Amino acid sequence: MLKKEIIGLHRREQTIALGGYAVILLCMLLPFASVGGQSVTGFSLAARFLAGGSGGFLYVCAALLAVLQVACGVFLLFRPSVKGVRLWAALGAILTLAVTCQLFASKGCFDANGVFPGSFMVKNFGVGFWLLLLASFVSLHFAMRATKVSTGYIVLTILSVIWLFPIVWIVLTSFRGEGGYYVGYFIPKTFTLDNYKALFSANSVIPFGKWWLNTFIVASVSCVLCTLVVLMTSYCLSRLRFSGRTTLMQAMMVIGMFPGFMSMIAVYNILKGMGLSQSLGALILVNVAGAAMGYYICKGFMDTVPKAMDEAATIDGATRFTIFSKIMIPMCKPIIIYQLMTAFLAPWGDYIFPSLLMGDRQESYTVALGLKWLTDFRRINTYYTQFAAGSVLVAVPIVILFVSLQRYYVEGMAGSVKG
Amino acid sequence: MNNTLRNRRRSLGAIFVEGDIFTKLSYVIWGLSNIVRGQIVKGCVYLGIEVAFFYYLFNSGIMNIANMITLGTNEQGMYYDESIGIYVVQQGDNSMLMLLYGVVALTVIAMALVVWVTSIRSGELARLRKVNGQKVYGVADDVVSLFDQNLVRLFLFLPLIGILIFTVVPLIYMILMAFTNYDSDHQPPGHLFNWVGLTNFKAILNTGSKLGSTFLPILGWTLIWAVVACFSCYFGGIFLAILINSKGIKLKKMWRTIFVLAMAVPAFVSLLVVSTMLGQNGIVNVLLQNWGFTSSPLPFLTNAGWARGTVIVVNLWIGIPATMLMVSGILMNIPPELYESASIDGANPVQQFVKITFPYMLQVTTPYLITNFISNINNFGVIYFLTGGAPQTLEYYKGAGKTDLLVTWLYKLTKDSNDFNLAATIGILIFIISATFSLITYARAGVTRNEEALQ
Repeated sequence: MLKKEIIGLHRREQTIALGGYAVILLCMLLPFASVGGQSVTGFSLAARFLAGGSGGFLYVCAALLAVLQVACGVFLLFRPSVKGVRLWAALGAILTLAVTCQLFASKGCFDANGVFPGSFMVKNFGVGFWLLLLASFVSLHFAMRATKVSTGYIVLTILSVIWLFPIVWIVLTSFRGEGGYYVGYFIPKTFTLDNYKALFSANSVIPFGKWWLNTFIVASVSCVLCTLVVLMTSYCLSRLRFSGRTTLMQAMMVIGMFPGFMSMIAVYNILKGMGLSQSLGALILVNVAGAAMGYYICKGFMDTVPKAMDEAATIDGATRFTIFSKIMIPMCKPIIIYQLMTAFLAPWGDYIFPSLLMGDRQESYTVALGLKWLTDFRRINTYYTQFAAGSVLVAVPIVILFVSLQRYYVEGMAGSVKG
Repeated sequence: MNNTLRNRRRSLGAIFVEGDIFTKLSYVIWGLSNIVRGQIVKGCVYLGIEVAFFYYLFNSGIMNIANMITLGTNEQGMYYDESIGIYVVQQGDNSMLMLLYGVVALTVIAMALVVWVTSIRSGELARLRKVNGQKVYGVADDVVSLFDQNLVRLFLFLPLIGILIFTVVPLIYMILMAFTNYDSDHQPPGHLFNWVGLTNFKAILNTGSKLGSTFLPILGWTLIWAVVACFSCYFGGIFLAILINSKGIKLKKMWRTIFVLAMAVPAFVSLLVVSTMLGQNGIVNVLLQNWGFTSSPLPFLTNAGWARGTVIVVNLWIGIPATMLMVSGILMNIPPELYESASIDGANPVQQFVKITFPYMLQVTTPYLITNFISNINNFGVIYFLTGGAPQTLEYYKGAGKTDLLVTWLYKLTKDSNDFNLAATIGILIFIISATFSLITYARAGVTRNEEALQ
């Protein structure tokens, strides 16, 4: 007799999942792949690979798991337990993984083992395989639902793989022993630290250490100054009432709608007139000079700070400057961190203006200029692995900073949205 | 607002009528009124500024403005020198510098006007205080007031000077350039360029010409790109945020961090990496061939249709985590009771999203959507680092490509072909488009926000 109800278990979903695994078993008897009239079934492939062969474990494993899943499924139908179904779903996940891997690995595996030598393509997969793939996901979905495990994990896992793919690739490439841009494989054949060492060696043509330091100097100096400018501007616009205040804000909004680098050439000429071109100081100066335009988020935050505090302080005889430094600044800590962070991060990715400003003066390059220079088609083949190493060295500190200060970033963004 | 302006303007005339002889004289000799009332230092500063201003004006200011009107008359070339009887090279006028110095001169005059008005007002204030028997402020008092009543001056002085020099002046300069013929054939110092009125606008908006037949398709693609990029990232981000925040998911922080990684890596790094991955022999094509998905490399970045699809997809990779991060906070603000009562009434997740989550989200994030849309119109980085506007086509004007947005085309016109007049014209057109969109949406959404209401 079937037990009707078990706490923590959806029996209906469990039954559907079992049905799915039965379909998988049947799919193994359908044509798995066919080239030019010849076709093989999943079981015949598994049987063939059982004897050995590189990469064959995928097929053997899938076939064995399919049989196992049906057997366990029937057993669990009569002797249900939450733990058992959880385990069953975990095995189902492995089966799904194996089948998904077959989608990508089949060509290589078939070519290596002389199944349809050299002529197999993904389009040659037969109805058996596609049904198998579909059924394995559907069954996994219901097996997870049966024990009330969120099926969002399936989607999240797939998305994570897509999102991490470029990041993993560049990290692997940075450790790759074989140079060159064009390689026909994902995982390097040899690992080395030479790419990193080359960036910093004294006789390297790439003054990466200098680039990194340049960017760090620009970022540190301009983040402090920009934040100060933004704080002062937004305090005035939020708290002080002076003639022309709204006009000023409207003017800044209108100016902000012009594409920024439309006027780059003019800025460059002005800097040249000041005798500042090709220097880091000019970069900092331009960053700081434009900072006040970004008052919006900070002002929005200050608007939400109760005015009663200012009034109380004024009654106690505080000057406006005291109110700013003793009340506003401490209240605005989250938004200050947000401003510091965005201003610090900006120079690392800023390319257009620095490239115009620095021209060919490599010793003043920032990392963005330098790395872009390395990916020029004349250099990419020689320097691709070093470019990868450089990218990692730029990304790591920023990622750490960003992830650890994420909270403030979210708060700042949320503030700007509410405003 | 208008009212106060009118009041002030009237009072400037009134000051002249009401003031004594020194006040009247101080309209010509700046700061005289201050000096007479005992504010020696302040008055001398005003006077010094006046002297410096007029020195500049007569020394070069007037000439700069005159030059800006003519934009130069002597073209560089060989001229016959009668005294020595041979042809000599004569340095011509540099129209570009003349235009720039002209703008600078106008700015200096405007600033001097501000100082002039300020000096009159400050002189009048000093006079009134003296007449009323109050203490006339000394230097020390002025410095103290900078930290209290006049904090605005202390705080806004440097930021506004910065904006003036590095944003406003260059902007005016470039706007003026749209009305000249400063293109690749009129490059100073070798050649002069001149005022041409609205010719550039006519050329770009004339659909029959090559320029016009470049502008319209690029504008079309820019708008398509902005709409698709904006909304795909928006809905993708909301979906991801809901997924991660849904009840059954554990290790929320870990999942969030995985996606935030993509966003935290500086955009130019990830874009350069992705563009090398998507090349003809990049890893993606290699893997797709190894896996048997395709027998020849896919033209991710070289075929017009493919390239447009690629930039949109890659933009999702960067944009979805950004939206997810922003939306997460808002999702948590939605009162959970709404969902509870909805599920008691038998609403399924889709209905809950359509009826509760989405309306709430849309209401809160409308300003974000507008700014996001406009920043996508100006999304330089994604296009520049991924495709550089490629594939280029002969249908388009000089070097513009099928994935070029208006901004990247603008950049190419300045950097590669030196058609500054066209670049400036396009810049103005972009401004008109952005401004129109934001005005319409703000008016529609009725986002008239009251600053005081947030207290």
